[in-house]
Amino acid sequence: MIARQTRSVRRLWAIAVAITPGVSACAAPSDRAESATGARSATEMAALPWDSVLVHARGTSVLWRMWRGDPAINAYVDGWVAPRLKSRFGITLQAVEGQGAELVNTLVTEREAGRGVGTASLMWINGETFAQLRRENLLAGPWSGRLPNAQYVDSGSAIIARDFEQDPAGFESPWGTVQFALIYDTVRTPSPPRTVKELATWIHAHPGRFTHDQAFGGVTFLKMLMYALGGGVEQFQGGFSEVKYIAGRDSVFGWIKRLSPDFWRGGETYPPDVAAMHRLLANGEIDFSMSLNQNEVVTKVRQGVLPTTARALLLRDGTIANAHYVGIPFNAPNVAGAMVAADFLLSPEAQFEKQRPEVWADGTVLNHVRVPGEWRAKFSSLAQDRYALSPDSLRRYARPEVAPMYHERMLADWRTMIRRATP
Amino acid sequence: MSRRDGAGVFAVALMAAPVVAGGLYSLAAAVGLAGAGANGLSAVRLVDVMRDSSTWRSIGWTFYTAGSATLLATAAALLASVQLQQSRVGRALAILPLAVPHVAAALAALLLLGQSGLLSRIAFAAGLIAQPSEFPVLVYDRPGASLIISFAWKEFPFLTLTALAVLQTAGSTLTEVARTHGADARAIFRRVTWPLLWRGLAPAVIAVFAFLIGQYEMAVLLAPSDPLPLSVLTYERVNDADLARRGEAYVLGLLALLLAAALVVVHERLREDDSGHVGAGGRNA
Repeated sequence: MIARQTRSVRRLWAIAVAITPGVSACAAPSDRAESATGARSATEMAALPWDSVLVHARGTSVLWRMWRGDPAINAYVDGWVAPRLKSRFGITLQAVEGQGAELVNTLVTEREAGRGVGTASLMWINGETFAQLRRENLLAGPWSGRLPNAQYVDSGSAIIARDFEQDPAGFESPWGTVQFALIYDTVRTPSPPRTVKELATWIHAHPGRFTHDQAFGGVTFLKMLMYALGGGVEQFQGGFSEVKYIAGRDSVFGWIKRLSPDFWRGGETYPPDVAAMHRLLANGEIDFSMSLNQNEVVTKVRQGVLPTTARALLLRDGTIANAHYVGIPFNAPNVAGAMVAADFLLSPEAQFEKQRPEVWADGTVLNHVRVPGEWRAKFSSLAQDRYALSPDSLRRYARPEVAPMYHERMLADWRTMIRRATP
Repeated sequence: MSRRDGAGVFAVALMAAPVVAGGLYSLAAAVGLAGAGANGLSAVRLVDVMRDSSTWRSIGWTFYTAGSATLLATAAALLASVQLQQSRVGRALAILPLAVPHVAAALAALLLLGQSGLLSRIAFAAGLIAQPSEFPVLVYDRPGASLIISFAWKEFPFLTLTALAVLQTAGSTLTEVARTHGADARAIFRRVTWPLLWRGLAPAVIAVFAFLIGQYEMAVLLAPSDPLPLSVLTYERVNDADLARRGEAYVLGLLALLLAAALVVVHERLREDDSGHVGAGGRNA
């Protein structure tokens, strides 16, 4: 019995060892030449006349990895974009979950598996994800300047032309713009704080009613504080500076440490994400939620998540605005289809629909003056939603993103110095 | 080796292959040879994880919550199985939570146990508390109250089912024999039912504990931001904004694998001791 078991165990080891070379071969960093195949075909595709790109795209399908967490966005993509891509260009669009950090991991795994062709042809990206994808050579391009609708893009806008200070360089095509805003209930908080200084006073006067989340929204709030307390965004522009970062971080963490005893739960714990923040606001446990989309309050009121008396609020010290983009992976199975889809997303028609408050209320990346006349009128006539902020104040308080390293470091340091250091 | 033997080994190898492959890949990623942010062989990730106090805080907190929930669920299952042997309705009710997905159970706990949750509102309406914030903090809390309660509630039916099966298959004959030999109810429980239950239930208890150590959906919804459950910490690392730190997730994964393997070894040793006693004349029974 024991002898037989030992033999079986040896057998298992033999099998394990037998598959080891395969695994370690996968694990070895793959050569860059392989990753160039997708990139080359994107470059080749970008060199073709647009008509032949359309021909290549017809009858194909495009798998799009994107954040699927908002029913309003999903409805726009699945119910409005997909059927039009199908009927006009013969493209079957399939949107699936996959965002940010996961995208990088998925593509690295696909490259390690040694398969030349991957799974997704389009990805929704920006900021540090774009930086990481570029650093790891996981993006195809350049291609985005080739899109016919790129001519309408508001390329003069600092928010759109630079993605966290990075030049998209044709490796991603702009899709929309958002701006950070606090969300509050006008009934519960009739006279909300308007500046960072007033916010501090308010937090101190209302213990347990303010917090921020641990994810992207929370870090953006911290960076906004860094601009406000550190002398403006200009201090942090022009690439990452360790010295400036440390000074900025210390002033932010000083502010947090001084006020966190008056945070929700005494700053002992922080909500995981903005969804939890919205829930806490709606349930009356806190008085402010936040969002990286100034119009999220509009869609969340419509979905019944937030009360109809909820509004967005911009702090006058400035709030961070940024653009989001679509990119094509280095191993995209369908570059032509992805390019046609990206071009359709940029069309005045699709951009207008996306910006409608009852659809998604996502800001357009097009220049209102550059678009054809009929659309110019439509964009400017976009009915101002009563829950939404005015374009003027949005523009006035908008501040651009700084280098992605500020985001990475702020998140890492917040986790070790604030989240863990609380008693 | 017979053909049957070969088939058995092949089947086991098929089951073990993903674990072996995953373990090897994790090992490669842990030393910087694979995965996002890999930049050549180095022990820096191993050292960083081992030296990071949040690793050990996380493991400690995970053991505490998973252990408390396992104890709670086991105690409840033992009680229920002994009480419910004759009640079909009771049995049906006891296994009801089995049908609820983990993530749904966690959301329910959030809606029920939060400071603005249903229980808090009932307490408020009943005049027990003056305002919702007076309701005890049960979610996102460091003692992990809602997580332990939800874990226990979700695992209770599985343990109850196992306990009932143990009692049904082995219990009745031995109980009859004991009764004909003149044992009273207390003696029967102490000398027959309890040893049988304990021995039959032990593998399930170990399995529940090991499962809860790796549970993610409930942990991410109910746990505080510090300390982080091991599964949430691992997920945070694998998606770290700093690519170079993502390899640390694989170190944590290997740690979790080691912990689970250690549990299995402990369990096997316990069983060996146990069967030794039975072989030596059933001292426990």
